Amino acid sequence: MTERNQPEPSPSEADQPELNQAESNQTEASQPAPVDFGRGMLDFAGRHMPALRAATEYVRAGGRLKGRRVGVALTLEPKTANLAEAIASLGAEVAVLGSSNSTRDEVVAALREQGIAVFAEAGCSPERSLELQNAFIDTKPELLADDGAGNVRLMHTDRRDALATLIGVAEETTSGVRPLRVMEAEAALEVPCVAVNDARTKLLFDNVYGTGQSVVMSILDATNLQMQGKHVVVVGYGKVGRGIAAAARALGGRITVTEIDPVEALVAHHDGYDVAQLATSVMTADIVITATGIDHSLTAAHVAAMPDGAIVAVGGAGLGEFDPDEGPELIHGDVVRPNVRELIVPDGPTVFVIADGYCANTSAGEGNPIEVMDLSLALQLRALDYLAEADLPVGVHLLPPEIDDAVAASQLAAAGIEIDVPSPSQRDAAQSW
Amino acid sequence: MTKKATSSAANMASSKATDEQISQARERSRIADPSQAESGHQAIEWARRSSPVLDTFVRAKLSDGALTGRRVAVVVHLEAKTAFLATVLADAGATVVAAGSNPWSTRDNVAAALVERGIEVHSTRGSTNEMWEADLIRVADCDPEFIIDDGAELTIRMARDRPEAYQRLLGVSEETTTGVARLTELQRLGRLPMPTVAANDAACKHLFDNRYGTGQSTVQAILALTNLRMSGKRVVVVGYGWVGRGVATYCHQLGARVTAVEVDPIRALEAYTDGHQVSDLETALGSADFVITATGGIRALTARHFDALTEGTIMANVGHHDHEIDTPALRAESSEITEIRPGVTAYTRNGITTYVLAEGALVNIAGGLGHPTEIMDLSFSVQALGCHYLASTDLEPGVHAFPPELDRAIASAKLASRGITIEKLGDDQSDTLSEILDADTFESWGTKP
Repeated sequence: MTERNQPEPSPSEADQPELNQAESNQTEASQPAPVDFGRGMLDFAGRHMPALRAATEYVRAGGRLKGRRVGVALTLEPKTANLAEAIASLGAEVAVLGSSNSTRDEVVAALREQGIAVFAEAGCSPERSLELQNAFIDTKPELLADDGAGNVRLMHTDRRDALATLIGVAEETTSGVRPLRVMEAEAALEVPCVAVNDARTKLLFDNVYGTGQSVVMSILDATNLQMQGKHVVVVGYGKVGRGIAAAARALGGRITVTEIDPVEALVAHHDGYDVAQLATSVMTADIVITATGIDHSLTAAHVAAMPDGAIVAVGGAGLGEFDPDEGPELIHGDVVRPNVRELIVPDGPTVFVIADGYCANTSAGEGNPIEVMDLSLALQLRALDYLAEADLPVGVHLLPPEIDDAVAASQLAAAGIEIDVPSPSQRDAAQSW
Repeated sequence: MTKKATSSAANMASSKATDEQISQARERSRIADPSQAESGHQAIEWARRSSPVLDTFVRAKLSDGALTGRRVAVVVHLEAKTAFLATVLADAGATVVAAGSNPWSTRDNVAAALVERGIEVHSTRGSTNEMWEADLIRVADCDPEFIIDDGAELTIRMARDRPEAYQRLLGVSEETTTGVARLTELQRLGRLPMPTVAANDAACKHLFDNRYGTGQSTVQAILALTNLRMSGKRVVVVGYGWVGRGVATYCHQLGARVTAVEVDPIRALEAYTDGHQVSDLETALGSADFVITATGGIRALTARHFDALTEGTIMANVGHHDHEIDTPALRAESSEITEIRPGVTAYTRNGITTYVLAEGALVNIAGGLGHPTEIMDLSFSVQALGCHYLASTDLEPGVHAFPPELDRAIASAKLASRGITIEKLGDDQSDTLSEILDADTFESWGTKP
């Protein structure tokens, strides 16, 4: 759904290099060394992140992060690296944790050049990943920007030693907020957490516009196919499904939405899409994209009913949403081009799956657009500051609406957009009965 | 999870080339890296899968032997779809030699795969202009009888540098608006001694390729190169021909606010009526996030416009020429030039930093995978049948239209491949003039059997 609420793929050694060399790369001879691109990519992202910049200046004025130990556990790529640098610029001691399969070496190098402690090794073993995670927790972060609640959960179990110094956690992803709420309900949670994910400036943008554009584009980039005239089945019409359907329709696709929720289905109908059952929809599908956030939403049984050559991609929660093991046996064939594997149904169709069922936009592309992550990461920074300021009780808290509004306003201001304020009479009218 | 035993790439490499043809191709070709052939075969096979018209309808048309033994030069952006066209021509018995129509657009793996299929190739990705020109001359020296050209790049070089071989040419089928204009100019100058086909002007080419193909792939390439968002962007499209229309449409539909810049008042009015803003370039540049040139000419964005560029503007070109954005002039005036992401070069001039994508070469091809495959299926079907038409028809020298019946046949084949049926006009649905003239009264119109 977003940059960080899903596992990154671990592409086999044989498959992934082709992405860069065979198809995507363009000027091998003229490329500078990796570290140069790291800085360049980081700065290019940074200049399209006005909300993060504004949040940084707001937090700097408060001075609350100065001298704090802050842990940042996010996919290590140019956008999140900007958050790490912003926090470091506030006088905090920043430690960054990156996962083995999503870390970009050139970004690590660029961060280390700035003196930021980075715990990440691209392609390392699970054991080494755990060592790195423990070393990251050893820095005893007081404030933690967590990814899927992976670190805060470890600090409630094997690493309770680091819990005492932890002031609070900002969790941005759906998949991280869910376990935190379970912990809260079971009285197992021992630290205040902010559910950044639930902020309007996150949900309404990241999940709709960010994922919509990037999932559709990553499918087209991976396949080199046209969208015009394609029958696209969008499974699930939540925020992500809405965005995917809109982007595919914008490019000329014919959309069918499938849903289990009657209200969402009715919204899709009002938005002008065909709404039908999945089992029948897949029979004429050129592209099927799941956006349910729920495992087993699309199965081998559906694949067997698809036309030969159909494309399957996941745009929601990632691995599991498409379950190739439920239903008739599928033969997992070759990777026919980078990020495209053929799935063969014996005596049935050959279908192609994008990024082996990992989220298409982060696995077969660069993830959400920079400007969308600008909002999400600005919220993240403001959430860390809020945790440092507010002395919140243990529990899962929403970000105050005024912070939400301030982040949205900062991106509007950067775009030179001015909006109205209610007149006194409007205010009166709104408050009268 | 059983792994399929056989490599599909091995099957797809099966061609009709003899060992001798293959060894000759290896000997004579200039490519970057023969070891990349495997992924090239895969890419060509992927193109084949989504090219039903070329793979069935066109193959059948070419099987009459008209191209058997003919020397055909294919000088089009040398990537997987073009390579598939080359193999279809070779499978029909032609002796094909291929080169790229631009120094930046060749895919080295595809070039390697073609050589393994016995097709001579002269092209490497990112070659210098001198190397690229030399490649074209090597193709000319193969003494082609027919050219499938892009931008008339080989045709005009043969006219200039290989006049004798140029005289021997039997026909040229031309891919682009720019190239057709060049051929027409050659004809006007009395320097077009052979028949040519304006493949670009076929409905199945420009209505789809130039508009939808370039539109989608340009938006895709710009977003992939920059990782930016389209919604809310102010996009300036310079040139509102078929390409400009397509680019403007997709930017708009993805949420951008588009300003069109035109020199032609009718096209400008069309852009306005399509709902875009229209203005002169200098005004438009003042608030541009992306500037996309699509004029098909040169120096659409040049030194006199640079002062109007604002901080952070990102420039990309989708027209035929690499210098539609005048990067040499920008380079000359810039104090600092850095490639900051792959395919994104920052130019700092008078303290203002702007960006050029893919060095100003066609952004969708040099910075992306080019047009969608299904679109090129149509374009290359026109090209292959254009070449076949030239080889099987006695035509006067000059620029000829692509036969409309072939145009319709291609569209029908494409519709059929999608299982789409269309309506037939009934005998009683036509309104003939004689019927009106002979009608006794208004009421009796159309009532005659």
